[in-house]
Amino acid sequence: MFKELDPILHSQLRLAVMSLLIGVKEAEFTFIREKTNATAGNLSVQVQKLKEAGYIEVVKQFKDNYPLTTCKITPKGIEAFDAYVQALQQYLQAGQG
Amino acid sequence: MPNQNQITEKESLEIITSMIQKAKGTYYETGIGPILWGSVVSFASFVTFLQMKYEFTIGFDVWLLVLFAIIPQIMISMREKKTGRIKKYEDDALDTVWLVFGISLFCLIVYRNAVPSVTTRLIAAEGWQMMKHYTDGSKPDEPLIPFVPSFYSIYIMLYAFPTLVTGLVKKFRPMIYGAILSYGLFVMSCFTTSWNDMLLGTITALLCWLIPGILLRRKYLAQKTAKANV
Repeated sequence: MFKELDPILHSQLRLAVMSLLIGVKEAEFTFIREKTNATAGNLSVQVQKLKEAGYIEVVKQFKDNYPLTTCKITPKGIEAFDAYVQALQQYLQAGQG
Repeated sequence: MPNQNQITEKESLEIITSMIQKAKGTYYETGIGPILWGSVVSFASFVTFLQMKYEFTIGFDVWLLVLFAIIPQIMISMREKKTGRIKKYEDDALDTVWLVFGISLFCLIVYRNAVPSVTTRLIAAEGWQMMKHYTDGSKPDEPLIPFVPSFYSIYIMLYAFPTLVTGLVKKFRPMIYGAILSYGLFVMSCFTTSWNDMLLGTITALLCWLIPGILLRRKYLAQKTAKANV
């Protein structure tokens, strides 16, 4: 029986954001945008969805009079990412078998 | 990157791998800190070596430069924190290692400056003093201020410690090799004269900080240039 892939994570951009954040403690929005090559608008929407799911924490503040958004993965996000990777492994192993 | 929900499992795996690699391969340290400390410590060690070997003095304590280097270091750290667009899990731990290194270094400086005069006073209170005696009788005996022989060896060993931790945690080979070689220099310094220890200390500062710092700076600038060209 295959585990269902988490629909929140099974999206190109959201998965890319989570994969970036899993390896770092926190990252600025501009860094994520640069690494994912996404537009600011699209990324904002996807970041908001991840935040609503409780997978990431978003901190908005000002630095030198410029808005600064920092994202950080939550324990729930780590758990979800881990489950997603495990489910993915099942699918890939089944595909090879 | 388009937001398409219809991705295959293989594509998912590719995204995960590529993003993790991107985060890993980001050089967010500018290398200026190691370059600064490598330059200052190697310069001060080398000037001290020259002064000891050729018996002259430049008129002031060259190690004061190390003290003054703290000011630009604070400015560099503040600027790097401002421009640092990611923070990795190991960053806080490594900052602590370098802080403890700084405290240990400070304690060692206090020890080196306080212990000889304090010991002289304590043994004088007991009614005796240390004397330098020439075994061939070429010179008369003279009072000797207590000192720890080959003291700079301890510094060499201390320089290698945070460098090795940083190199291993960051998997940055120039620092790993620099620190390992420095431990070798520490062993060597136990068998050499004090002024030679200063020369070995110069090499240690080059191996631990200046060379890795330059390599780090080159990687950082190459990454910045590549980003600008995109």
